[in-house]
Amino acid sequence: MLKLNDVTVRYGQFTALDGVTVRVGQGVTLILGPNGAGKTTLLKAVSGIVRYEGSVKISGKEVRNLSLALKGKYVSYVPPTVTAMPEMNIGDLILTDYSINHDLLEKYVQILELKHLLSRRLWEVSSGELARALLARGLARGSTVIAVDEPLSHIDIKHQLRLLKELRALGRTGKVVLIASNQLNPALTYSDYVLALKGGKAVFFGSVKEFLETDILSSIYGVKVKVVTEDGLIDVIPIDVA
Amino acid sequence: MGSAVEQYIKLRRRRFYAVTVLIALSLIAVFMLHLALGVEIRNPIDVLVKGFSDIVSSSSSIERYRVQRALAGVAVGAALAVSGYLIQIASRNPLGDPYLLGISSGALFAVVISFTLPISAALMSVARPVAALIGGIGAYALTLYIAGRAGMTPTTLVLSGVAVGTFFYSISILPQYLFIQNLQMVFAWSQGSLVAASVWEVAAVASAVIIGTIYALMNFSVLNALTVSDDFVRDMGKDPSSLRRTITFLSALLASLTVAWFGIIGFVGLASPHLARRLLKSGESLYVLPIALMGGSLLVLGADSIAKYLFLPMDLPVNIIASLIGAPALATILVGMRKRA
Repeated sequence: MLKLNDVTVRYGQFTALDGVTVRVGQGVTLILGPNGAGKTTLLKAVSGIVRYEGSVKISGKEVRNLSLALKGKYVSYVPPTVTAMPEMNIGDLILTDYSINHDLLEKYVQILELKHLLSRRLWEVSSGELARALLARGLARGSTVIAVDEPLSHIDIKHQLRLLKELRALGRTGKVVLIASNQLNPALTYSDYVLALKGGKAVFFGSVKEFLETDILSSIYGVKVKVVTEDGLIDVIPIDVA
Repeated sequence: MGSAVEQYIKLRRRRFYAVTVLIALSLIAVFMLHLALGVEIRNPIDVLVKGFSDIVSSSSSIERYRVQRALAGVAVGAALAVSGYLIQIASRNPLGDPYLLGISSGALFAVVISFTLPISAALMSVARPVAALIGGIGAYALTLYIAGRAGMTPTTLVLSGVAVGTFFYSISILPQYLFIQNLQMVFAWSQGSLVAASVWEVAAVASAVIIGTIYALMNFSVLNALTVSDDFVRDMGKDPSSLRRTITFLSALLASLTVAWFGIIGFVGLASPHLARRLLKSGESLYVLPIALMGGSLLVLGADSIAKYLFLPMDLPVNIIASLIGAPALATILVGMRKRA
């Protein structure tokens, strides 16, 4: 269980996250909102990567007080991309994590098809392959809370589906999975909950079903949309700028 | 199920062991060669035994001089390599090098200025490294400032460093001509020379290498994180900016100490970590550091062997030979970087 209580993050004068209070349980929560809404900042606050005011608790533990030895068990942040020192291999990059579980890593290397990439230099791989490596690295911690930032932007549809199915399976085995993404298709289909942000504030938290009964999607993005649900698949079609 | 990651880890480790053996044996061979070479070619074991006993009994001899010069090469090469390794990680830039980034020339300038001051010889032995450190850090601060204003990229950082370095190098020539009597000796020093190495200077550089290496090995997981992303450093509860400041300071300290006593030897800091990553086919900090360190000693000793023997009885500045090796290394890295664009 992840509890945020009045969480505020400031970058200098700018308030990126403004008093967010929410309780998120197990399952996949899709964090959405327009660019600059505070999605990444929320994930970084939850992961203790940025300084926050208020309280972020995972299973009752305050994130900012977690010791390095314990932190990996509680939370893992997966960035969409990195600008690493170029002379590293994908394998080196994955193994830079201090809290990796090797059995889990093996599993994600299989699922995300990274085996043949381990010895490749970073400049020899595509941005999608790099994103998959970062995902394997982040998931291999086996943390309670998995905070995944824009995982879908670079990777192809096959790996998008594999990843989302895996994240859903993790959510069903008790993990709190947070996905920040604007790729509503296919992310919504594989999510259990939606946390909508705008201007650093949480404007909605609830199940996907409840979310689709509101018109928050249109109002936060300022776009008229049509939502098609069929065979358990959810498709959001933008129609026009409102 | 074949475990791919385990295989990769084993492969990486095996390659590390193989490269360690290769570099260590080459280093021993070049060390012996360096001891053997001179006006008279001698059995290096004899030189080593006699030289060490003369160091212990503090009597002077040709053997002692040869051993000190060889040890200086090992220490200076290692210091430059560790310096380059640290600054490459701090700037996340494969072109990082204390010479290319202006540190060495800044240190040189400050030491030359300290020569013109009316201070006693005893005070001078302290003033020299202190001046070098101040000059080195000052010059690097200027490089960072210019690169920051030019929009920090690996290339603008190096270009700013070259601008700053050239400036300090040039203005350090002037006082050499105007104010300093012992011109030839100072000039030889500024061009990189292991000739006048004293035991305690070598020991000072070696201690700095040991401190820098221990620091890096104790913090290798944070350094690894820093080679990938600042967020990964923050994830470990460390502040990437203060980590950068610490390792940049260590890098400048190592480079400045070598400049204080042995002058400018360029490109070793650039080439050694690069050579290590090439041979290891990996960027793992824990493996790159020891290989780069030995590689730096190997490069400097190799260059100095050529410098002292090829044009006998003339003793060339080691920097000339080091640059002959280092400049092509820079060219190779630059061409390699194009692939990433």
